[in-house]
Amino acid sequence: MIDLINTSSSIINTASGALADSWWTRMWFRHSGSTFAPSTDALYYYIFFISAFFFVLLMGLLVYFGIKYRRRPGVAAPLSPAHNTKLEIAWSVIPAILFAVMFFWGARSYLKMVVSPSDSEVIQVSVWRWQWEWVYPNGATPIQNEKVNDREMPFFALPVDTNVKFVMSSQDVIHSFYIPEFRIKRDCFPNRYTTVWVRPTQVTHRWDEDLEKAVPIDPRNPGYYLFCAEYCGDQHSQMANRVAVLTRTDYQKWLEAQADTSSIPLIELGLLVSRNNGCFACHSVDGSRGSAPTWQNIWNQPRPGSRDGKVDFNYVRESILEPGVFVVPGWPNNMMSYQGRITDREILAIATYIQSLNPEFAAQAQEFSRQEMEAQESEDADPIDPLEPEMN
Amino acid sequence: MAHHDVSYLAPKETFLKTVMSWVYTIDHKKIGLMYLVAVLLMFFLGGVAAMLVRAQLWEPTRTVFVSEDGSVYMNPAEAPEGERDSLKTETRGIFFQPITTYVSRPAVNLLSGSTVGAVITASQDGSPSVSLPESDGQTSNPLNIALTDDGSPIFTETTDQRGNKVWELRRENPDSDEPGPVLASITVDGRGNPSAEAGSGLSTRKTTIREPGSTITTNNIYNRMFSLHGTIMVFLFIIPSIPAALGNIFLPIMIGAKDVAFPRLNLMSWYIYVFGGIFALYSVIAGGVETGWTFYTPYSTTTDWGSVTSMLLAAFILGFSSIFTGMNFIVTVHKLRVPGMGWFDMPLFIWALYATAIIQVLATPVLGITLMMLVFERMFGIGIFDPALGGDPVLFQHFFWFYSHPAVYIMILPAFGVISEMLAVHCRKRIFGYRAIAFSSIAIAAISFLVWAHHMFTAASPVANVIFSALTFLVAIPTAIKVFNWIATMYKGSIAWTTPMLYSAFFLFCFTIGGLTGPPLATLSTDIHLHDTYFVVAHFHYVMMGGTVLAFIGALHHWWPKFTGKMYNEFWGQIAGWTVFVGFNVTFFIQFFMGTQGMPRRYATYSPEFELMHKISTFGSWLLAIGFLIHLVVFAHSVFAGRKAPRNPWGGLSLEWETESPPLEHNFAREPVLTHGPYDYDTVVPPHYDPALYPLPERSDNAPSHH
Repeated sequence: MIDLINTSSSIINTASGALADSWWTRMWFRHSGSTFAPSTDALYYYIFFISAFFFVLLMGLLVYFGIKYRRRPGVAAPLSPAHNTKLEIAWSVIPAILFAVMFFWGARSYLKMVVSPSDSEVIQVSVWRWQWEWVYPNGATPIQNEKVNDREMPFFALPVDTNVKFVMSSQDVIHSFYIPEFRIKRDCFPNRYTTVWVRPTQVTHRWDEDLEKAVPIDPRNPGYYLFCAEYCGDQHSQMANRVAVLTRTDYQKWLEAQADTSSIPLIELGLLVSRNNGCFACHSVDGSRGSAPTWQNIWNQPRPGSRDGKVDFNYVRESILEPGVFVVPGWPNNMMSYQGRITDREILAIATYIQSLNPEFAAQAQEFSRQEMEAQESEDADPIDPLEPEMN
Repeated sequence: MAHHDVSYLAPKETFLKTVMSWVYTIDHKKIGLMYLVAVLLMFFLGGVAAMLVRAQLWEPTRTVFVSEDGSVYMNPAEAPEGERDSLKTETRGIFFQPITTYVSRPAVNLLSGSTVGAVITASQDGSPSVSLPESDGQTSNPLNIALTDDGSPIFTETTDQRGNKVWELRRENPDSDEPGPVLASITVDGRGNPSAEAGSGLSTRKTTIREPGSTITTNNIYNRMFSLHGTIMVFLFIIPSIPAALGNIFLPIMIGAKDVAFPRLNLMSWYIYVFGGIFALYSVIAGGVETGWTFYTPYSTTTDWGSVTSMLLAAFILGFSSIFTGMNFIVTVHKLRVPGMGWFDMPLFIWALYATAIIQVLATPVLGITLMMLVFERMFGIGIFDPALGGDPVLFQHFFWFYSHPAVYIMILPAFGVISEMLAVHCRKRIFGYRAIAFSSIAIAAISFLVWAHHMFTAASPVANVIFSALTFLVAIPTAIKVFNWIATMYKGSIAWTTPMLYSAFFLFCFTIGGLTGPPLATLSTDIHLHDTYFVVAHFHYVMMGGTVLAFIGALHHWWPKFTGKMYNEFWGQIAGWTVFVGFNVTFFIQFFMGTQGMPRRYATYSPEFELMHKISTFGSWLLAIGFLIHLVVFAHSVFAGRKAPRNPWGGLSLEWETESPPLEHNFAREPVLTHGPYDYDTVVPPHYDPALYPLPERSDNAPSHH
C-alpha cells in the first residue's frame, strides 16, 4: 500500500512539477506556500484524475447508449443479461482499492499536519468576534496594519523555512483558522486550546528599513490571506488578515519593530498591554465584577493599608510586580507577579490607562500621555519622571 | 345512475364537503398530494432565499457610509445635512437597503410657554444630548441654556449619593459666576439604565422619544437569508419531498395495498408537519435565524438576533412528522404487500423508501433530543454546550451530525429509488443488478450511521478523524455500485427520451460529479484545505440538488399522469429540463474552483479575485429560476388544459400502472393479482398498453435467467 502511494505520489509530483505555476495549477489552487501544499495538491490531483477518468467513461457510456439504443418504433430492446457477477465484483473491488489508496495517502499526510515538530516557534493566537490576534514569542502583537478588503487589519508575518506552531483559543464562539496558501485549517474553540503548525516555503515580503515595515517583494503578490472558516456572525466574512512570509533576518527585524512600542501613546499602549497580558480575564473596565477588582473609577480611591493609602502610580506598579504585598480586602490573593515580563514604560502605560478610566482624571491622563509622547520625541526635553508626575 | 367517478380527486357534492374531505382525509394519496403542494411551496420559498443570497454575492463588497450614531446609509446624500462631513466608510455586503431599528430613550421636553424650547435626551450609554429648536440665529436659545463658546450646551457631571452618574443641564446665569438653576438632568443608574429628570424653574414634560438606533447591517440580512435557505430546504423541503409526498402516494399502490398501515397516523404526520411549518414561519416573521441550519454552539445559544428558539422547536416538531411517516412505511412494507410479492419482487423505489424509513426512525430522535437540549440551554441557561456554562461545543457537533449525516441519506436514498424506476420504465429494460441495488440501499443506510464525524475533520481529534475517514470511504462503495448498475441498465435498452428519462440522465451526470467530489472531502489532508469552502457547497448541491431535486422533478413528470390523470406538454417539459440542467451546472460547477482557491462559505462579502466566479454563479441561478418557472407553467397548463392520461402512458410494469389515472379511491377495483415482476420488460407486454407499440424481443433457448 505504501509503495502504491509512493509510486502514485512520485508520478503526480513529477507531473505537477512539470506544470508548476502553469494555467493548470493556477486554475485549481492558490500559490503553494508551505511544505503541506505540494503533498495536498498532489493527492488532490490524484483523486481528480481518477474521478475524471471514471466520469468521462460513465458519461461516455451514458451518451453512447442513449443514442445507440434510442427507441425505434417496432424494434424491441434486445435481450441482455440483467446481472453479471464478474463485472459486479470488478466494479466493487476496483473502486475499493482506489479509495484505499486515497485514504492511506490522505491519513499519512494528515498525521504529519497534526504533530508539530518540537523545535517550532510558538505563536499564541487569540480570536474573537471579529478579530484575530497573534502574540509572538517576544510578547509583541503586530503594530503594522494593512487594509484587507477595505478594512484596516493587523498584519502578520512569519519566517520562511521555520516550523511555526499556532496555539489557538477563542474568546467567544467557534472560529476557524484558515490560510489557503498553506492548506491548513483548524477550528478555535472557547475554553480550549487547539494547535496547528506550518513551515512556510516561499518568501513574499521583505523588511523595508525606510518605511519600517514589511512590503511585498512582488507588487502583484500582496501576500496570503488568513480567513475565518467557521461561521461566526455579522462580520464573519471580514475577518481577513494579511499573512506575509519574510526571510529569517527580515523577520527578526520586523519582530523587533513590532515589540518597540515607544511610538504608542501611554493610554493606548496600556489598553494593548493589558489585553495582550490577559489582564481583562479578571479585571473589568466597566465596573462589572470579575474574579479581581474592576479598574473603572478606582484611580485615586482610598486603599487603607497600602503604602500610599490610595490608588496611584506606585500602587499600580506594586500591584503588578508584587501583587501579594497588598491585597484589596475581600479579594483572593491569586494574581501572579509580572516581574520581568513587562517593561517600566508598559507599567506606566497600564497605570495611565487605569487613570483614564476615572472620568475625573481622564483629562489629566490624556495630558500626561501627550507630555510623555512629546518628551520621547524631543531629545532635548527633560526626561519625565513617571513616578513624580506633576499632579495635585 | 351514470358512471360514478370513484377517483380520489373526484369532488364531493358541495364545495364545503370537498374541502372537508381533504381536511379529514385518511387517504394516503390525498395526504401525499397535500404534502406535495406544501413541499413545492417550501421549495419556492427556499429558492427565493437562495436567489437573494446569490444576488447579494454579485459584487464582492460595497462601501456604505456610517454616521457617528451608527446609522448606515448607502449614499451620503441620504444622511442628514449636518452629518455628511463626519460619515465614515465601511465595507459591507451589497444589495439590501439597511434596516434601522428604533430605540426609545428617556427625554425631557423643556417648554417655553406652549412651545418646546429644547429636548434633552439620554443616549444609549446615558450620555446626554440636547436638541435645540430651529432659530433665527439671533436668539438661538429661548430658554437661556448655558452654552460654551462654540455654542454647545454645558452639562455638569456629578455623582449622586448612590454613586450614579448625573449630567445636569443648567440655565444660563449672566449675572454671576454661580451656575444657574438646573433645567433637567440625566441619571445613569448602576446597571447603566439612563433616566431623564425635569429640573426646577421651567415648565417641563417628561417624555420618551423614539430615535433611530442600531442599524441591521446588510451582512446580517445575508446571514439570515442563507440560514433561511438552509433550514427551509433541509427540514421543510428535501426531507419530506420524495418520501412524504411521492412515497405517500405511490408506496401503497406499488405494493398493491389499499392504504398505508396506519392511515390516521399518516394524517397526523401531515398536521404535525403543518404545525412545525408554522413555527418555522413564525421564526422567519419574528426576525429569522442567523445561525445557519446547523445551529452550531455556542453561537446559537448566545446570539441575540432573531428567533432561534422557535426555529429549533420547528425542527424538533418536524422530526416527529418524519418519524411517523417512517414508522408507517416500515410497517406497511412488512405487512401490506399483495399476496405473492416477496421482498425481491418489490420495486426498487420501495426498497429505497424502506431504507429511508429505517434511518428516519432511528436517527431523528437524536436530533430531537439535541435540539431540545439546545432549547433548554437557550431558555434556562443550563450548561450543556456553551463553555461559558461548563458545556462542550464539540459535543453538540457530534450529536447534531449523528442525525444530520444519516439525514443526508434520508434525502438521497428515495432519489436512488426513483431513478431505478424511471430508468427501467423508459429504457424498457430489466434493471441491472436488482439485488445489488436493493442491498446497497440497506448498506448505505447502515454505514450512514458510522460516518458523522467527517463533518468535523477540523474540529475533532486526529485519531477519530482517521477512523471516520476510513468509514466514509466505505459508504462510497455501495454508492458507486448503484451508478454503475444504472448505466448498465441502459445497455441494449429501448430508450425513450421523455422528460423523466432526460431527468434520469441529468441525475446521473450531476450525481456522478457530486459523488466523485466526495473523495477529496473524505480524504483527510485534502479535506483540511477544502473544509468549509465553496467546494463543500458545490459538492452537496451537486448531491442534494443535482441528485435529489433533479430526481424529484423527473419523478413528478414520471408519475404526473398517474396521480393527476392529465398529461403534461412533453416539448416544454424538455425545454424546461434543459434550462434547469444548464442553469444548475453554471451555478454550481464554478464553485468547485472557488473552493479549491480558498473561498470560505457563508461569506457575505469576499475578496475581489472571486468576483468573476461569483458573477457566473449568480448568472446561473437566474437560468435555474427561469427553468423552474417554465416547469411551473407546464404543470399549471397540464392541470387546466392537459389531455387525459391513459392508465399506462409509459408502459410500466409495477402495480401503479394497472389502476386508473388518477387512481381509484381505494387504489384498485379489486385486489391485484401479481402475474409478473416489476422489471420483466423482456417478457411481458405492460398492462393497458398497446401490444403493437411494445414489441418483445425474440427469445432463444439460452435466454438469460431472471435476476
